Amino acid sequence: MMRTKGKTNSSERVLRKEERKLQKRIKQQEKYFMSSQWQLMARRLVKHKLAVISFVILAILYTGVIFAGFIAPQGLEDYSATYSNAPPSKIHFIHNGKFVGPFVYRYDTEFDKFRNKIFVENKEEIYPIKFFVKGVPYKILGFIESDIHLFGVDNSNLPQGKDPVVLMLFGADKLGRDLFSRVLIGSQVSLTVPLVGTFISFVLAVIIGGLSGYYGGWVDTVIQRIIEVFLSFPTLPLWMALSAAIPPGISVTKVYIFITIIMSLLSWPNLARVVRSKFLALKKEDYVLAARLAGVSDFKIIIRHLVPGFMSYLIVNLTLGIPGMILGETSMSFLGLGMRPPATSWGVLLQECQSISNIANCPWKLIPVIFVGVAVLAFNFLGDGMRDAADPYK
Amino acid sequence: MVNSVLKVEDLKIEIKLDEGMLTPVRGVSFEVRENETLGLVGESGCGKSLTCKAILGINDKKCKTTGKINFSKDGSEINLLEMKKDSAEIRSIRGKNISMIFQEPMSSFSPLYTIGNQMSEVILLHMTKDKKKAKELAIEALRRVGIANPEKRYNQYPHEFSGGMLQRVLIAMALVCNPNLLIADEPTTALDVTIQAQIIELMKQLQKEYRMAILYITHDLGTVAQICDRVAVMYLGKIVEIGTVHEIFKDPKHPYTKGLLGSVHKIGGNNERLFSIEGTVPLAMNLKDRCSFYDRCVFRDENKCNRPEPCLKEVGKEHSVACWLYESNEPHEKEGI
Amino acid sequence: MDKWRYIAKRLVLSLFTLLMITFVVFFVIQLPPGDFVDTLVESMVAQGERVTEQEIIQLKAMYGVDRPFIVQYLDWLSGILTGDWGVSYFYNKSVISIIGETLWPTIMISLITLFITYAISIPVAIYTAKHQYQLSDYIFTFLGFVGMAVPHFLLAILLMYLSFKWFGTPLMGLFPEGGIVSWASFLEFLKRLIIPVIVISLSGTCGLIRSIRAQMLDEQERPYVLCTRARGVSEKKLTYKYQMRAVLNPIVAGLGPMIAGIFNGSTITAIVLMLPTQGPVLLKALRAQDVYLSGGILMISAILVVVGTLISDLLLAVLDPRVKYIEESK
Repeated sequence: MMRTKGKTNSSERVLRKEERKLQKRIKQQEKYFMSSQWQLMARRLVKHKLAVISFVILAILYTGVIFAGFIAPQGLEDYSATYSNAPPSKIHFIHNGKFVGPFVYRYDTEFDKFRNKIFVENKEEIYPIKFFVKGVPYKILGFIESDIHLFGVDNSNLPQGKDPVVLMLFGADKLGRDLFSRVLIGSQVSLTVPLVGTFISFVLAVIIGGLSGYYGGWVDTVIQRIIEVFLSFPTLPLWMALSAAIPPGISVTKVYIFITIIMSLLSWPNLARVVRSKFLALKKEDYVLAARLAGVSDFKIIIRHLVPGFMSYLIVNLTLGIPGMILGETSMSFLGLGMRPPATSWGVLLQECQSISNIANCPWKLIPVIFVGVAVLAFNFLGDGMRDAADPYK
Repeated sequence: MVNSVLKVEDLKIEIKLDEGMLTPVRGVSFEVRENETLGLVGESGCGKSLTCKAILGINDKKCKTTGKINFSKDGSEINLLEMKKDSAEIRSIRGKNISMIFQEPMSSFSPLYTIGNQMSEVILLHMTKDKKKAKELAIEALRRVGIANPEKRYNQYPHEFSGGMLQRVLIAMALVCNPNLLIADEPTTALDVTIQAQIIELMKQLQKEYRMAILYITHDLGTVAQICDRVAVMYLGKIVEIGTVHEIFKDPKHPYTKGLLGSVHKIGGNNERLFSIEGTVPLAMNLKDRCSFYDRCVFRDENKCNRPEPCLKEVGKEHSVACWLYESNEPHEKEGI
Repeated sequence: MDKWRYIAKRLVLSLFTLLMITFVVFFVIQLPPGDFVDTLVESMVAQGERVTEQEIIQLKAMYGVDRPFIVQYLDWLSGILTGDWGVSYFYNKSVISIIGETLWPTIMISLITLFITYAISIPVAIYTAKHQYQLSDYIFTFLGFVGMAVPHFLLAILLMYLSFKWFGTPLMGLFPEGGIVSWASFLEFLKRLIIPVIVISLSGTCGLIRSIRAQMLDEQERPYVLCTRARGVSEKKLTYKYQMRAVLNPIVAGLGPMIAGIFNGSTITAIVLMLPTQGPVLLKALRAQDVYLSGGILMISAILVVVGTLISDLLLAVLDPRVKYIEESK
C-alpha cells in the first residue's frame, strides 16, 4: 500500500482520502466477486421484471390463503336459495341523487317471458357496505378465532323476516353461494396442495435420486428402471385411477392428504432424474473426492457438499413443477375425482362449468379460471426468472 | 522492411454490463509480418482472445469494437472492422485468407457431422465447387498433418478421434485453403505435454511449407520461445512490451514481463523459489487514470509512475515498452510501433 | 456393432418396462376398497333386490375376486399376454373390443395433434431464437406461457362455448352421424377436429417452442459455432445445417414424453368434448370400479407411450453418431 513518510500534513490528508476511495472501490469489486451464489441470484432475479411481478401476485394470493376467512364475506357453508345463480352485485354510491358511500340494492327475482329467472335490483332500500362487519365465525391458521370480516353488507338493522342481503363480488353459484368467498376458500386447497406436494416430491427426489446418483451400480439401475416405468405412464389417466381409489366417505382432511400424496407420487420421478444427473456430475468434482479422502461420511458429503451444489437448480425445477400440480388438482376436482363437497377448491368451483348452458347464462362462473391461470402463469414466470438468475453462464 | 500481413491499430473493445462499461481491450496496436510468428502473451483475462476474435469479426454481438484492423489481401490493404458481421465479404476472408484454430479441439467440431463433411464444407466454400476434388484436397490436407489412413478417417466422426489427432485435423482444416495468416488461440493448452510438442513442431514445419504468418496466442512462455519470432506482452487490455523473442527473453524491460519470466521454471536453474506476481488482474472497469500495473508493480516509483498510463516507447531495435521507468519526465505524444 | 447392441438393449428394456407397468396397473386398479361385486350388490340393493350373504360369496367366486392379489395378477397378466383382457362388467363386453372401438380415434387424434405440434413449434421456435430479445420473441414467449397455463378442460369448454355462439351448435363429438360417407361429412369431421386438436396440442406446442428455443440459444453458445463461423460459413448455414441438426436430437428424444403429454391432454379434453376416445370410457370405468376395463385402458395408453419412446430411441440411434453418449446422458 502507499507509504506516506516525510510528507506535509495536507498532502497526507489527500493521500488518505485517495486511499479510502481506493479501499472503497476494492470493497465494491470484492463484494461483487465474493457475493454468494444466492446473493447473485437474488440480484439477477430482481432485475427480471416479470418474475418480480409474479412474486408480488403470488404473495397476494397466498395472503388470501392465510386470511381467507377474514377477507371472504361469507363462510364455506353459507347459501341462499333466493340468490341461486345470482349475477355479481353492483356496487352503487349514489342513492336518489345523493352520495351515500358504497352500497348495494337487494335483488328481487322475476321471470322473463321464456320463464327464465332474472334478477332485478330493488331500488327502495340501500344496504351499505361496511368494513369490519360481523359475520360467520372463522379461524385463521387454525387458531385465531374471530367473526369480524374485512368487508360486507351490514345487515344489523334488517327488518324481521327478511333474508339478509349478501355482497357477491363474483356472483353466486347454483346454491346461491358467494363465488368470491368460495374462490378464496378454495384457494386454501388449490394453492396449498401444490406446495405440500412439491415438498414431498422434493424429499423423495433428493433421497431416491441421490441414492441413485451417489452409489451408482445396481442401485442406480434398479431406480432408473422404476423411474422409467413411472415416466411411461401418461400422468393424467394414472392420476384419475389413483384418485378414483380414494375411498368414499372419508374426512376432508384425509381426502386432502390423499390428493397431495397422489400429486407428489407422480411428480418425483422427473425431479429424481434431475438430482441424479447433478449428483453424477458433482461427485466427480475434486472437492468431493477430497472430502471423501478426509474421511467424511457419505451422508455428510451428500448433505454438506453435494446438495448445496445444485440447490438453486433444484429449486428452479421445483417452482416450475408447481403449475403442473395446480392444474392436476384442478383437473381432478373438475372431474369429480378430487376434492369433494362440502370442501371446495378451484376445480370443484369449475364443475358447474361442465354444461354449456350454465356458462352461457352465468358467465361469471368462469371467474375461477382467471385465478387458476394467473397462479399457474405466476409460478411459471417466477420459475423462469429464477432459472435465468441461477444460470451462471449469463 | 518486410511487408506486414496484418496491422492492428488502436483496437478497443467495450462490453456494456449492468455493472458498468467493461473495457477488456483498451487500445492495442501491433502488426504481423509475412512469414513470421508473433506471440501474444498474457494472463487469462488480459484480452488476447478477444483481440484475435475481433480480427475475424466473430466476437459476441455485445462487444463494441473500434479502431482499425488492416489486412493486406492481394497487395491492397482492407480494413476488416469496416465489414458487416455476416457479409459475404468478410466470410470470404474467414477460413480462406485468415484461418483460426482454437483451444479445445474436441469442441471445435460439430459432433454430428463427419470430419470429412466439415472439412470439405470449407473447401467447397472457398476453393472449388467440385465435391470430388474437395474430398481429394481434404484427404491430402489430412495426410500432410500426419494423420494415418486419411481416407478412412475422412468418414469418421469427431468423437472417434483423440484430442491430439483432432487438433491435427483442425490444423489441416485451417490450412487447406492456404491462408496468409493463421491465428492460433492457445492451440496446445488442452493437450498433453508430449502432444503439445508434436503440434508445435507440426505448426513450425507447416509454416515453412505454406509460407504463412502466425499469430500465436498463449499464456505459456515456454511455447513462445519454441515457435515465435516476436512477442507482444499484454496486460489488462494493453500491450506493455513488444520485441523479438531474443530481446524479450534476454533483456525484459517491463516489470510485468520480468515477473512473467520470473515465474517460468528453467531446467538446470538453481532451486530458488519460483517468483510470482503479487495480486490478480483487476477488472477492466472503472480503472484509475494511472499505470494499470501500478498496484502490483514491485519496481514502482511514486514520483514517476503515479501518472496517466504510459505509451509504447522504443527502447532498442525492434523493442518497445510502455513503462514510465524508461521515460524521461516530459509527457510525450503517442507513437506508432 | 455398437448400434445393434444399443437397439437390442432398448428393446429388452422396453419389454421389461412393460412388464413392470402391468404390475403397477393391476396394483392401482385393485386399490379401491371393495371390489366390483360390492358395487354390483350395492346397485342391486338400491334397485330393491335382495341379496343374501350366500349369493355374494357365490358372485365373488364367479368373478374370481376372492382370490389372493398375486394370483389375480398372474391370471390377469396371462390374459393380457394371450389377448384375453377380461370382460367389462359395466358394458358387458370384452375389454379388448371396447378398447378396439376407441383405439383408432385415440391414435388418430394423437397423431394429428403430434403432427400439428411439431409443424407449428419448430418454425416458431427457430424464429424466436434467431430474434432473441426482440419484440416478436417476447410476444411468442408470453403467448407460450399463457398457452401452457390454460388448463385443457377449460380451454375446451371455452372453445365449445364460442363455437356454440358462432355456429349455433356446439362442436362436440368427432364423427358426424352416419360416419364419413361423403365430402360434406368429411368436412364436418374436419370441423369437429379443430377444437380437440387446438386444445390438446396447445400446451405441448408451447412447451416445445420454449425448449427448442432454449436449445437453439444453447447451441449458439457452443465453441464449434465460433469455430465454424471462423471458417467462413454463413449464419444461415450455421442455423440450418448445424444448430437445427443439433436440436433435432433432443426433439426426437422428447417424442416419448410428448406422446404421454398428448394422452394427458386428450383424456380430459375428450371427457369435456365427448369424443369417442378412451378418456370418457376410462372415467366411466373408474367410477363404476370396472377394474378390467380401466386396467385395460391404462395398459394400452402406457403401451402406446412405451412404443413411442422406443421409436424415438431407435430414431435417435440412427440420427446420433454417438450412441455411447446417448446412453450416458440418459
